[in-house]
Amino acid sequence: MNLISPITLLFSGLPARADKFLPGISTVALIKVADRTILFDTGPYAYRPILQGRLKRLAIDPGSIDTVILSHVHWDMAANADLFPNAEIVIHEKELAYAEAPDCHDAHTPAYVGRALHRLRLRPVTGEFEIAPGVRIVELPGHSPGSIGALVGNALLSGDAVACAAEAASGELRHETPKDERARQSLSKALSLADIIYPGHDRPFHVGTPPTYLDDYTIKIRFFTDPSGPDEELQIASLAAKSFASWP
Amino acid sequence: VKLDLLIPGLPAKSDHFLFGICSLLLLRVAGRNILFDTGPFRVRPQLIGALKIRGLAPADIDTVFLTHLHWDHVENLDLFAHAEIITPRSEFEYAAAPRPTDWGTPPYVREILRDMRVELLPDEEIELFPGVKTLLLPGHSVGLQGLLVETGDERAVLASDALWSARDAVRGVPDVAFFDPAKAQASLDHALAAGSVFYPGHDRPFRLHNGAVKYLEQYRYRLHFPFQPNGQEFETGIATERAANSAASPT
Repeated sequence: MNLISPITLLFSGLPARADKFLPGISTVALIKVADRTILFDTGPYAYRPILQGRLKRLAIDPGSIDTVILSHVHWDMAANADLFPNAEIVIHEKELAYAEAPDCHDAHTPAYVGRALHRLRLRPVTGEFEIAPGVRIVELPGHSPGSIGALVGNALLSGDAVACAAEAASGELRHETPKDERARQSLSKALSLADIIYPGHDRPFHVGTPPTYLDDYTIKIRFFTDPSGPDEELQIASLAAKSFASWP
Repeated sequence: VKLDLLIPGLPAKSDHFLFGICSLLLLRVAGRNILFDTGPFRVRPQLIGALKIRGLAPADIDTVFLTHLHWDHVENLDLFAHAEIITPRSEFEYAAAPRPTDWGTPPYVREILRDMRVELLPDEEIELFPGVKTLLLPGHSVGLQGLLVETGDERAVLASDALWSARDAVRGVPDVAFFDPAKAQASLDHALAAGSVFYPGHDRPFRLHNGAVKYLEQYRYRLHFPFQPNGQEFETGIATERAANSAASPT
C-alpha cells in the first residue's frame, strides 16, 4: 500500500462568511496516480496567480496536467480551467447543458461560463466510472444539476455536495437551502462512500462522530486604513487535534 | 452630473485569494444611468443591492463604462446584457490574445463581451457626455481609461487602477504598475493633476489637502471563520474604525 496520499491540497476550502462579499474560498486539489496528473476544481478567478505560484513551487508545469475535473460550474470553482493547455476538461453533461443556459436567477453561475468553457477541450461525462487508475467519478447532483465528485481510494473530493464538515456533523445542508431535493441524498451518499472527505468549502476531515479535521489551517489578510501608515494584518488559524507524540 | 459611489474599493490582499473589490460608481447624466466598472463576482449581491436601494434594477443600467478588462472589473457584465458597453478600443483588441504572463485579463473576456453592444473608445481624450470626459491612463493595463466628471463645483477623477489606492498619491508612485511601469507613472501623474477629488480603483475616495489624504468614506467588513464542525467560529473585521480591527475574538 502506498502510504503517501495521491491527493495534494493546493487550496484548502474554508466555510468563511462575510457581510459584504462572497468569500468563495473553495478547495482545489491535485491527484497524482500512475502517470496521470489530475486537477480537481480550479477555484475562483481570485485564485489565479496564487494557483500558478503554488503549482510552480511544486514544480508542476500547467502543461503536464492531463485532466481537470470540474465538480460544478459555479463562479468559485471553474474560473481557471483555461490555464491547462493540454488538459481534458471533465464535466458532467447535465452541468455543461446547464452552463450553456444557466437559469437567470442562479446567483452563483455567471451567464458566460458555458461560452468560456467551450474554448477548451471538454469531455462531458455521465454515470460513474474509473477515469484514471484508482480515481472514480461519482455523481452527486443537487447543489447544481450535474455536480460530481472524485473518489480516490478511501477519500472523496466532494465538491459542494459536502460543502463543509458541519454538514457532515449535522447531516443537514448548512449553507444554502437547495431547490433540489437530491442535494440531501448526495450528502448522505458522499458520507457513506469515503472515510476522508475533501469538502468544497472546508478543510479535509475524517468522517466520524464528530468529524475531525486532518490538518491545520491558516490564512492571512493584509490591508491598510492609513495610506501613510503600515499595513495591518489579520491571521486566522485553526489547528487540528494532533497526537502529542508528534508535538515538538 | 450626479455621481454616486455604489461600492468603495478595498485595499486588501490575502495569501489565499485576491479580493479584487474595486470602486463601483453610478453616474447619472444626459438621461442615462451609467455604471462605472462592474466589479468581481464576489460583490455581485452587493452590486444588485446597491442598485436596488437606489430604486434601480440591473435592467435600468443602460450604459456600462469599463475602464479596462481585468477580471475584477468585468465579472458582473452578464447582469447588463442589454446595456451599451463603453470600453477602450486598445483594451478590447488586446483582450483577443492577452500576453501569457498577464493573469489579470481573462483569456475568455471577449466571450463575456460576445453579443453585447460594445462602443469602443479611441486613443484620445474625448467628451463622452456633457461634463464627462475620458482620461487616457495606460500602464496598469494596456489601455486603461478613466473619467473626469464635473460634479458642479468640483472635478472628480475616476481613475480606476491607474490610481490603485490613496497610497499611490502619498508616495507619488503607482503601486500596481501591472503592464507598463513607465506609462503607469505618467498616468498616475496625469490623474492626480486632473481634478480635486479622487476615486481610486481599490480604495475609498479622497481629497488631498497639502499632500495629506482626507478620505470621504469609511468601510467596515465583517468576516466569520467557523473553525469547528460544531459551528464555533471567529468573527473578525476589516474596518477603517480602528476598534473593529482588534484581534479575532471567539463569539
